[in-house]
Amino acid sequence: MKKAILVFSTICITLTAMGANEKYVQKMGETLTGFNACNSIESYQALANQFRTIANAETSEWLPLYYETQCYILMSFMENSGAMAKDAWLDQAENSLEKMLELAPQESEAYALKAFYHTGRLVVNPPQRAQTTSPLIDAAIGKSLSLDPGNPRAKYMRLSNDMGTARFFGSDITPYCKDARELLEQWDSYVVQSAIHPAWGRDQVEEIVSGCGE
Amino acid sequence: MLQSLMVLLAAELSAQIPITGKVTDTQGKGLIGANIYLEGTYDGTSSGDNGSFELLTSEVGKHVLRIEFIGFEAHKTEIDLDGVPLQIPAVTLKEAFNELNAVTISAGTFEAGDKKKSISLSPIDMVTTAGSQGDVFGALKSLPGNTTVGESGKLFIKGGHSRESKTYIDGTLVYVPYSSSSPNTSVRGRFSPFMFSGTMFSTGGYSAEYGQALSSVLALQTNTLEVQDQLNISILSVGAELGGTKTWENASLTTNLKYENLGPYMSLVPQYRNWNKKPQTLSGDLSFRLKTGKSGMLKIYANANQSRLSTFEENLNNPGSQYTYSLVNDNYFINGSWIGEIAKDWILTTAFSYTHNVDDVTVDSLQFKEQLDGTHLKTTLKHRINEKTKIIAGAELFSKRYGLEFPSPEQVEGPLAFRNNTLAGFIESEFYASSKFVTRVGVRAEYSDYLKRVSLAPRLSTAYKFNEKGQISLSYGWFFQDPEDEFLLYTPDLNYERADHYTLNYIMNGNKRVLRTELYYKDYQNLVKYERGVANEINSLSNKGYGYAYGLDLFWRDRKSIPGGEYWISYSYIDAKRDYHNYPYEAIPTFASKHNLTLVYKHWFSRLRSMVGATYRLSSPRSYNNPNSELFNNERTIPNQSLDVNWSYLHKQNVIFYFSVSNVLGFEQEFGHKYATLPDGEGVYQSAPILPGSKRFFVLGCFITLSKNGKVNQLDKIN
Repeated sequence: MKKAILVFSTICITLTAMGANEKYVQKMGETLTGFNACNSIESYQALANQFRTIANAETSEWLPLYYETQCYILMSFMENSGAMAKDAWLDQAENSLEKMLELAPQESEAYALKAFYHTGRLVVNPPQRAQTTSPLIDAAIGKSLSLDPGNPRAKYMRLSNDMGTARFFGSDITPYCKDARELLEQWDSYVVQSAIHPAWGRDQVEEIVSGCGE
Repeated sequence: MLQSLMVLLAAELSAQIPITGKVTDTQGKGLIGANIYLEGTYDGTSSGDNGSFELLTSEVGKHVLRIEFIGFEAHKTEIDLDGVPLQIPAVTLKEAFNELNAVTISAGTFEAGDKKKSISLSPIDMVTTAGSQGDVFGALKSLPGNTTVGESGKLFIKGGHSRESKTYIDGTLVYVPYSSSSPNTSVRGRFSPFMFSGTMFSTGGYSAEYGQALSSVLALQTNTLEVQDQLNISILSVGAELGGTKTWENASLTTNLKYENLGPYMSLVPQYRNWNKKPQTLSGDLSFRLKTGKSGMLKIYANANQSRLSTFEENLNNPGSQYTYSLVNDNYFINGSWIGEIAKDWILTTAFSYTHNVDDVTVDSLQFKEQLDGTHLKTTLKHRINEKTKIIAGAELFSKRYGLEFPSPEQVEGPLAFRNNTLAGFIESEFYASSKFVTRVGVRAEYSDYLKRVSLAPRLSTAYKFNEKGQISLSYGWFFQDPEDEFLLYTPDLNYERADHYTLNYIMNGNKRVLRTELYYKDYQNLVKYERGVANEINSLSNKGYGYAYGLDLFWRDRKSIPGGEYWISYSYIDAKRDYHNYPYEAIPTFASKHNLTLVYKHWFSRLRSMVGATYRLSSPRSYNNPNSELFNNERTIPNQSLDVNWSYLHKQNVIFYFSVSNVLGFEQEFGHKYATLPDGEGVYQSAPILPGSKRFFVLGCFITLSKNGKVNQLDKIN
């Protein structure tokens, strides 16, 4: 009898634990579909709020913070009322980025996003910031690839940064186009850890490839 | 059984009830995009167009409803959910206090850093300003308050002498911030701007944290951890430099070796000065960074530098003859600091610096050594009592030995030296009544065991922000400084010199344009006075000197009007007089021009990948003394004018070419006259004009950076 109770309670605990996790995964999955509908700063703000709410409820999960950060970075790109306003969104991104890095100091994706964040800071004022920010972008990409050499988002970050520089110097971009095509071909072979792990970037690489022409 | 339970549960879940309400700011305006959620659940929503919201939840029982909006204080309400729709009374959010957006004490201060809304010069601004020649002090001279003193090259702030300005690196004093050179030659700072990520330059009314400076304080923050391995090679028309950085996860090490030789350059470009041995400098430095724990940072910097030169100087006491002036300067500087959060809202900083400086001078056949050994130890503790109140307290020890030595036994007296240990303590509190009004009150105490005197210096500053753009700031304080070393060498029986600062500052800052105006008055007391004896010796030393300086600073910086370009204009009006040293009566000191104007322009040509800059300076005549005249300091120099230009070209990602010319239009420059110390047979003191080293100065350079991905360059290093 005692044994039966033990077994039963073990099952119960497992069930509730599973239940909680499933609920989290389901909620995240639902919320992630929100990215498709986002087309303005306001809609990204609402989405960021949703991720923040999940992050506040699930204090040990880094993915809600990841997507909250991503929203704010994208908002900075969409902002067109000046450097101060762009930086204000990036300040928000920095907040959640730092919290995320504390929870996930060994996640390749976290550093790929960090590179994206620094890129956001850079594009606010490239002549003023290139010198201080470029090494930070490179370091974040390097860290991301050292944790997962196949991370396609880190590769995309590197590619887009290198191409930007090459364009600036008017040098040949064909080698990068080759890399971009390769990256696109391999994109789907990269196994994303779960349905709620970061999987974005394919569209952006496609854009690069189509920009290269044939 | 289990299935039916699940169905029930699902039904329960779908039975969602709305919570409705509205979020506004204190003016009743709806806040759009606020986050409204039930704590500990996934149930949340964002406020819409007029700040109204509808949150759907299936939760029951007691919950906390939280409302957050960027830049506002979060709001919490306890609510009881029982399955019926709930209407929350309108919620008003208060704007959160944020120090970065709040008013700042700006009287006297130019501050630039990573996160500051800088109206001052960042290190990158410093190196790209034409005429600064990659020198921190050179760049600061483009700010208002400074008088150009061509025969010195140092900072002379608001009618004060350059010795009244002090330089701090990571909180510790740099006893000898300038290079050494022959008399009447412009010197440079010893540190390259690319070492620093933050600068605070105060031309008056500074915090109680800083003492021993009557006129100004320059506090430089060095870079934190480097993140990339790299090798730097610089080849210039006047020398070469090799540097490298090695990084680890939590540490970085940077070293540099630099050799400068002006010989080849000076042989090509005509010089006014007659060189016996042209200047050569060899220097090496090393900097180490270590991240300790979560918030701690250890920094160590060490520099060793030797320079030597020799010139032929005209002997005005015996016209037609000349003598040699030779100088060998050895300078070692080391500083270290650790900063870290030792408990929540308690930040501890401990720092030290040590300076060893020897000027080995030979004038004709007379040799002497001037030696300074200075140590500074400093500990500060900063505590944030609440978000609006900060307090900082600190203790410092300054220990300085200064001596003159005459090596050859048959020459004059033996060594002359003194040691002065000064113990200092300060406490200061900064209190924000609101984000619009801040007050800083502090006091500083010092005791010198050589002077055997105590000084007590109160400091008071306040600032008020009218609106988004405009703010006014006021400051008042007493400032003390030891008399000059050359007087303390003879007697400890002197008092501290004193200056009282009154500063009124107004700033209008909006959309990449800044207007800064400042009115100030400085009252000097207890300045050292003496009389020259028949053999030119110093007699009757006392603290009976006094003086004043008042003026107006104007600064306008515009980064908006010209796409790709920016400019700033500095103007200062200075009225200063003092009766000190051997002045027979109150007179205008030699280091104060009434009017000083600087125009700086920079333009980035993206198609040419070039940064081009120009700086124009104009200063009204300075006064100097002619011993042949009845009147003291009554001669006037010609106005000083110069147009400096520079051009940097990004050849490849990691290769930069650089070219600069000072005084490109060849304006006539003359910094007064020097006189014989003794009259000739007819009772006349012979004289000669003081000229710059050459009419123009050219620099041509190439900077190469090698890193793993070849992307980094030395843009911040151009000088």
